[in-house]
Amino acid sequence: MQTLKLLSSFLKVNIQMSLAYRADTVVNILLNFMWLGWELLSLNIIFSNTTSLGGWGLGELIALLGVFRLVNTMMMALIWPNTEKFNQSIRDGSMDYTILQPINSMFLVTFSRITVWRIWDLILAIVLIVVGINMSGDTTTAASILAFFLLTISGVIVIYSLWIVLIALTFWFTKFDNNVTILHALLDAGRYPATVYPVWLRMIVTFIIPVAVATTIPLQALRGDLNINQIILFFGVGVLSFWIATKVWKRGLKQYSGASS
Amino acid sequence: MFLIFQRLWQVNWAEQWQYRANLLMYLLYWLVSPIIYLAVWTSIANANGDVKGFTANDFITYYMVLLIVDQATSNIVIHTFGYKIQDGTLSGELIKPIHPMLTNALVNNVAFKALTIMGLIPVWIILFFLFKPDFSGVALSGILIAIPAMILGFLISYLISATITALAFWTTRVYSIHEFYFALILLFSGQFVPLTLMPPIIQNIAQYLPFQLFIYYPIQLILGKLSVDQIIQGYVMAGIWLVVSFLLFTWVWRAGVKRFSAVGA
Repeated sequence: MQTLKLLSSFLKVNIQMSLAYRADTVVNILLNFMWLGWELLSLNIIFSNTTSLGGWGLGELIALLGVFRLVNTMMMALIWPNTEKFNQSIRDGSMDYTILQPINSMFLVTFSRITVWRIWDLILAIVLIVVGINMSGDTTTAASILAFFLLTISGVIVIYSLWIVLIALTFWFTKFDNNVTILHALLDAGRYPATVYPVWLRMIVTFIIPVAVATTIPLQALRGDLNINQIILFFGVGVLSFWIATKVWKRGLKQYSGASS
Repeated sequence: MFLIFQRLWQVNWAEQWQYRANLLMYLLYWLVSPIIYLAVWTSIANANGDVKGFTANDFITYYMVLLIVDQATSNIVIHTFGYKIQDGTLSGELIKPIHPMLTNALVNNVAFKALTIMGLIPVWIILFFLFKPDFSGVALSGILIAIPAMILGFLISYLISATITALAFWTTRVYSIHEFYFALILLFSGQFVPLTLMPPIIQNIAQYLPFQLFIYYPIQLILGKLSVDQIIQGYVMAGIWLVVSFLLFTWVWRAGVKRFSAVGA
């Protein structure tokens, strides 16, 4: 309850901040639509030259684009602005104030900055997923849709957990302020099914920077490519990675000694 | 004049060298997309035998050459110069007797480019062994004829970006304009896919725009895919666009500097 209250006041503050730059918000939304247009056009170009991409149809790639945009929205609306604030707070010691609050510090670090207009993006992502699932048609069942949603959530949690670990490393290595770049750079690999990538690239985006776990794998569940054991396994990976992230975060906090000492 | 450029080179090289870690991060960002496009299109070509005549090897060689050409012709002037107009630090450069955009910023870009290409070489060699492209169709003459085209391509791309950067004299949203420009490059340059696989209408427009001179045209020259007529046509287009972009830039720059009153002065 208290968490929800806090979240809504964070949202309020961030809305107020972004209202100061209304025209920018409009321009950003227009640019966002432009990129959506480009993404759909590029899918159209691909499918005007082939009937399937690694066995996947157009509908499935549109749904994949939706899931990718979901992860991307988390990246742009939460991870990016909060990383900036976090790195700054480690350098100048204002992290002290965050830790002093009687609230979970990981929660505060995650939600204190929200790029509000990106909520648009969230809606677009959901529309893309629904349209894509509809287009891919008869192969989807209620069970596969359920598996898809579970694995999408767990995939998003995996990426989030990796982010927490990456920024927690800053507690040990203060100068590590390129911490999120590698995650952001490889994110684009989530636009297409990882199954079409060469093995080495598939390994990187599955095990090292697990972008594919959040994008390709939920879609595989939707297509019915995964059996029940695999679905449970990948969901377990999501839970496990969150648990690891909270452990690493707590360890890191103990390491933190302020900027002045 | 030569001495000035020599000094500018030393200063800018030293400056860029200082940021080599950031530079590697930039390289990483920029490498991902072409490699993904390569993977996607080779997988399609492998599944269908070919895509409108393009075999898997055609795609591999195309994107492997693209990695070099794009690095040679692209520029970062918006990021290194835009803020100077916005925060007023430009005034210090305006009182110098040399053009800030056509000397210092230009050399800075070339230094940046030289360093990223140094970083690209080992990556390119690794990719070469991973993808095993067959470059037997490439002749030395093609590479030699592509070098002036790449220099022209870089100059045109630099002048157009410099023009957009100079719009910062009027608006604070110059980065949004640049994002839009970036989408145009993606659409018309051949960065996403060889232009012949684009819808016919885009191909028709792309012919007359400068963007294909940055990527598609030099790649086709290197791969030896163009007839003599097409080579000449490309160079003529490059010549026209160089003049147009230069005139456009000097016009916008002059008007902008007249309007400029540094913040805080």
